[in-house]
Amino acid sequence: MAESVSAQTPSLSEQYHLEKEVKPVEVQAEEVEAKEDSPPEEAVEDKSESPASTEVTSEEAPAAATEEENTTEDVAEETPDEIKLETAPADFRFPTTNQTRHCFTRYIEYHRCVAAKGDDAPECDKFSKFYRSLCPGEWVDRWNEQRENGTFPGPL
Amino acid sequence: MIVLKWLFLTISPCDAAEPWQLGFQDAATPIMQGIIDLHHDIFFFLILILVFVLWILVRALWHFHYKENAIPQRIVHGTTIEILWTIFPSLILMFIAIPSFALLYSMDEVVVDPAITIKAIGHQWYWTYEYSDYNSSDEQSLTFDSYMIPEEDLELGQLRLLEVDNRVVVPAKTHLRIIVTSADVLHSWAVPSLGVKCDAVPGRLNQISILVQREGVYYGQCSEICGTNHAFMPIVVEAVSRKDYGSWVSNQLIPQTGEA
Repeated sequence: MAESVSAQTPSLSEQYHLEKEVKPVEVQAEEVEAKEDSPPEEAVEDKSESPASTEVTSEEAPAAATEEENTTEDVAEETPDEIKLETAPADFRFPTTNQTRHCFTRYIEYHRCVAAKGDDAPECDKFSKFYRSLCPGEWVDRWNEQRENGTFPGPL
Repeated sequence: MIVLKWLFLTISPCDAAEPWQLGFQDAATPIMQGIIDLHHDIFFFLILILVFVLWILVRALWHFHYKENAIPQRIVHGTTIEILWTIFPSLILMFIAIPSFALLYSMDEVVVDPAITIKAIGHQWYWTYEYSDYNSSDEQSLTFDSYMIPEEDLELGQLRLLEVDNRVVVPAKTHLRIIVTSADVLHSWAVPSLGVKCDAVPGRLNQISILVQREGVYYGQCSEICGTNHAFMPIVVEAVSRKDYGSWVSNQLIPQTGEA
């Protein structure tokens, strides 16, 4: 892992190097803008809850930005790895610096969703992404163990 | 022109501690720029007050030396001057407080949803970074430890006590959420150029929002005493373009998906 990181991260001079190839990016940016208009509309229609729709529209914006970089990658490499820049949104229930309860709440919400709707329900995927983004892996592992043992200290 | 461009591009900003450094490191986030501007505002009043106080002190020592002026005066009251030296400091404090509170409250604003969440977990005596936005299961897909490079392993040009083996790669000009915590004792994740210092408390997740405005490499050090190697667990943040960040993440994730 260490070797792959040092081999892939560009040096400072590579980062600062200004390339002349600005035009291809602009052309594909126009194409992506046309695509960008339709997905947010569809997404807004699909979601009925208003906080969810704001989440989706804010998620769509970074996703569209990465679609732009993915189309340039397609031209360059022909291996589109879609890295979506989206994560758990800011939750107004937890406005302060201390996000411990935010992580815990998302974990509980996911497991309640799974208990209510079954293991493979797609609605629960959202919650699983949120708690995985926020909670350290060690905490998640410990809680999973506690759930298996029946000693989880939370309202599941 | 080309020579100027070459000169400009090879002069690097100060994003790491330098020997005998007196001032701030160069700002790379709006927060740090705000802190530096506030410092300049306060420093102006500070110099005014300093010069005034020193002037009064020196003048008193000079003119009222016991050999020059043997008879001391016995002044007890002076209503006007007492009012003045209460009002003027209050005014100065108000001029200092206005930009200070403006910065303080703007630092707390969480307006924009972050694009990425990165977890920085402090251990004795290294940092672990988890990029869990790409997990499809509870298995951590992108996590790595970041140890200091010991002095004997440094290459020419590297910074002593500041370099690490695996840097925190982040995309520039993107809103980031960094969650800082600890696995054992108190640590503190601090990067002066980014204007960030956040305590890593075991059992608690502290969130900071940053927006790195320029690409570059930013150095910081652990800022809460955590044992014998507290001075030897630095932090290095490398801000790259979004495209480079995307390809870095894909390259890190590929071995995992290959194994899975």
